[in-house]
Amino acid sequence: MAKKTYDLLFKLLLIGDSGVGKTCILFRFSDDAFTTTFISTIGIDFKIKTVELRGKKIKLQIWDTAGQERFHTITTSYYRGAMGIMLVYDITNEKSFENIVKWLRNIDEHANEDVEKMILGNKCDMSDKRTVSKERGETIAREHGIRFMETSAKANINIDKAFNDLAEAILDKTAGREPGDHVDRVLVDRKQQSNTSRSCCNN
Amino acid sequence: MAYRARLKEFDDVLDQEVIDLKKLKSLSFHGIPDDQGRRALCWRLLLNYLPTDKSQWPLFLQEKRQLYKQFIDEMVVMPGSQEGNGDVTEGDHPLSINPDSQWQTFFKDNEVLLQIDKDVRRLCPDISFFQQPTEFPCQEIVNSNDVKRLHTRVQRSVLKCANVERKGLGITKIALSIKKANEDYAPMTEGKEAHWEVVERILFLYAKLNPGQGYVQGMNEIIGPIYHAFACDPDITFREHAECDSFFCFTNLMSEIRDFFIKSLDETDHGINKMMSRMLVQLKNSDLDVWLKFQQLELKPQFYSFRWITLLLSQEFPLPDVLRIWDTLFSDESRFDFLIYVCCAMIVILRNKLLNGDFPSNLKLLQNFPPMDVQIILSKAVELSKQKN
Ligand SMILES: Nc1nc2c(ncn2[C@@H]2O[C@H](COP(=O)(O)OP(=O)(O)OP(=O)(O)O)[C@@H](O)[C@H]2O)c(=O)[nH]1
Ligand SMILES: [Mg+2]
Repeated sequence: MAKKTYDLLFKLLLIGDSGVGKTCILFRFSDDAFTTTFISTIGIDFKIKTVELRGKKIKLQIWDTAGQERFHTITTSYYRGAMGIMLVYDITNEKSFENIVKWLRNIDEHANEDVEKMILGNKCDMSDKRTVSKERGETIAREHGIRFMETSAKANINIDKAFNDLAEAILDKTAGREPGDHVDRVLVDRKQQSNTSRSCCNN
Repeated sequence: MAYRARLKEFDDVLDQEVIDLKKLKSLSFHGIPDDQGRRALCWRLLLNYLPTDKSQWPLFLQEKRQLYKQFIDEMVVMPGSQEGNGDVTEGDHPLSINPDSQWQTFFKDNEVLLQIDKDVRRLCPDISFFQQPTEFPCQEIVNSNDVKRLHTRVQRSVLKCANVERKGLGITKIALSIKKANEDYAPMTEGKEAHWEVVERILFLYAKLNPGQGYVQGMNEIIGPIYHAFACDPDITFREHAECDSFFCFTNLMSEIRDFFIKSLDETDHGINKMMSRMLVQLKNSDLDVWLKFQQLELKPQFYSFRWITLLLSQEFPLPDVLRIWDTLFSDESRFDFLIYVCCAMIVILRNKLLNGDFPSNLKLLQNFPPMDVQIILSKAVELSKQKN
């Protein structure tokens, strides 16, 4: 029997206006690098990274969505399965901050009720161009009872911490449940699991 | 030599007084030689821009180029200079509710521009072409002390209107993203203009002329290869007008694939959802095992083929391969049916890996298509298209 390489699987989603830096954040987290030359995301992208939390190996399946309005119908269809959602705005872009409310509404409409949320104010390395104060970010997060952090994909500020905190919050939730219960919720689905291990044996 | 023979075949078709489009398509389907601007010329024909009757070309091209110049004057140069003189506000207060208010237009334009600007700077990052200066900049614009450059217009207006806020009239506070975290795209000096600035202008004009559609992300990836092919034409009489000609070819191409870019048309016959489900049906016919595997993993076509189809595969392969694939796609007698076979071929070629992979590894594979000779994919696609189901 092939050994499973992780204990838990968490599905995360990144949303927010176009250009706020979602793809860069994810790239920083998964590949620990920054490049200014990303093409805009069309539809949806996907990355995987395994982290270790409290002695457990947790596989993070992270979906990176396109920000522009045109893609909303496709991207909202991914909300349902997500266990954690990161809402990203750009601290140098007022509009992207105002739209956080709109993104929160989207979550209410399309995501699971108990999804873990986190707001990220990205590009905090650009303090000279800042138009959204940290306090405003904190306030909106407090109003909605959501975690908040300022990040920079470029300067690598708080990126790992953001993902770890979010994963930890999900872990807290799942750990409180009955063991039999959380297997169902946490693993993608049984078919897929058994399938993976079977194909491993064949190799 | 086989290559010589191919060149000759093309020249035989292109040398006719009236070009036989059907013949041209059947030749181009197998790839257009890169030499001597044949690709650019063939695309102009395949995309129904140039008329097949060659005697009409001089007058036709002259008219188009005049028209395009007029577009630039009306939509880029004039607004730019008015704004430069500071008379956008003249007799027209920013809080005016007059729907024809110049401010209204100005705000709307800038929102579109902000998005285009972000995307053209991110165009084809793996090659340096788009950052290079063009030989044929638009003179009125590049010698205007930056006043008429579209991207400086975005930045300047953001600064100027920073405290203009108006809600409930369709205009919210204008986005304050002054920064353009793109150190790589150093601004060109007076008199010079980078290729990406040209592409920005093309997309802006397109958005202005097609207000129902505006600008949607991904359009940059459609104009990119066309403009590149035209701007690299060795024939200077054509290269000089790469901007104008690629604008019109892009417009023609968009008229055929427009529905992919419009959300409200997703479910219609030519919408993206319809295309994806056709692809899935074809996959079922071509390779039942893979189809079953995808069913079982709940690996939906939206996850990978949305981008494939919307962008005509332009983001999946390096530019030279995209050009080759587009030769074939543009030569399709019923555009863009063959694209569906190409998508299926891409999947079928990976079948062994896909049948053994789990959800994440399969999705990763499909979203980052492994480098390979595109000829293999195209031949497979032909094979699938000939199979009797
Ligand atoms: N200074 C700075 N620039 C950043 C940072 N993160 C992203 N950027 C820049 O912001 C631009 C957009 O970044 P992306 O990651 O492509 O934005 P996105 O949110 O994925 O945009 P869409 O895919 O269009 O929805 C890029 O040019 C990046 O270089 C950051 O932390 N600091
Ligand atoms: Mg992105």
